[in-house]
Amino acid sequence: MAKQKTKMICPHCGAAMNHHADKLVYPTSTEDSKKMNTALGGVIAEIHCCPGCGALESRGGGE
Amino acid sequence: MNSRPLSIPVILGTTRKGRMSAHAAHFMLGQIEKRDGIRTELIDISKLPMPVDDAGEGIKDPLFSEKMVMADALVIVTPEYNHSFPGLLKHILDSCLKEYIHKAAGIVGVSAGPFGGVRVIQDLIPVIRELGLVNIFWDVNFGNVSKVFDESGNLLDEAFVSRADKFLNELIWMAKTLRYGRDNIALDS
Repeated sequence: MAKQKTKMICPHCGAAMNHHADKLVYPTSTEDSKKMNTALGGVIAEIHCCPGCGALESRGGGE
Repeated sequence: MNSRPLSIPVILGTTRKGRMSAHAAHFMLGQIEKRDGIRTELIDISKLPMPVDDAGEGIKDPLFSEKMVMADALVIVTPEYNHSFPGLLKHILDSCLKEYIHKAAGIVGVSAGPFGGVRVIQDLIPVIRELGLVNIFWDVNFGNVSKVFDESGNLLDEAFVSRADKFLNELIWMAKTLRYGRDNIALDS
């Protein structure tokens, strides 16, 4: 079963944000390369959108 | 669905002096402005700060980034230079990423010759896809562009009004659909 993650809260309006995408981001530095998921070939960034004001946030997906 | 008006900026993707793409961009801007409930503006890449001593998110301009955050769709007007897109258009597009995810994009190709930028559009689509944008299946192709607009930018061929209309109908549908998805449909994880 998928684990539940904490919803991001919009820093602009305080609404709960919707996690609508995981984007594979390619490492651009040696430091980034250390965090790389070798199975996927990059680092996952979770993309969150605020339904209230349209703000966007991202955070590391970890897997 | 939230009540914010849709935001659909037009990106003029060349810095070249005497660029005919500016006429195409202003025409597209005017067609969007005729529609209710949509905010638009021209983003001329020649007016953006664009350092060349770094690349990608290292050169992110806060103002451009904010415009991309607020955008629901992009109209990218690009000329075809040596069968592809201007390098500086790619340079500025690469400066953002999360800002584009699950947003609509439509490409307007411009060429001096007869093909209307079909090669630049084919080249740009994989870039658009990797940036997380969703490309629509309508394009607008301004071939023989010096015959489509006069020197002042007045449209000489009215057929482009209906072509732009079809393109914008699809782009707006996709923009609304993707906004609903961004706001309401969670990724299964």
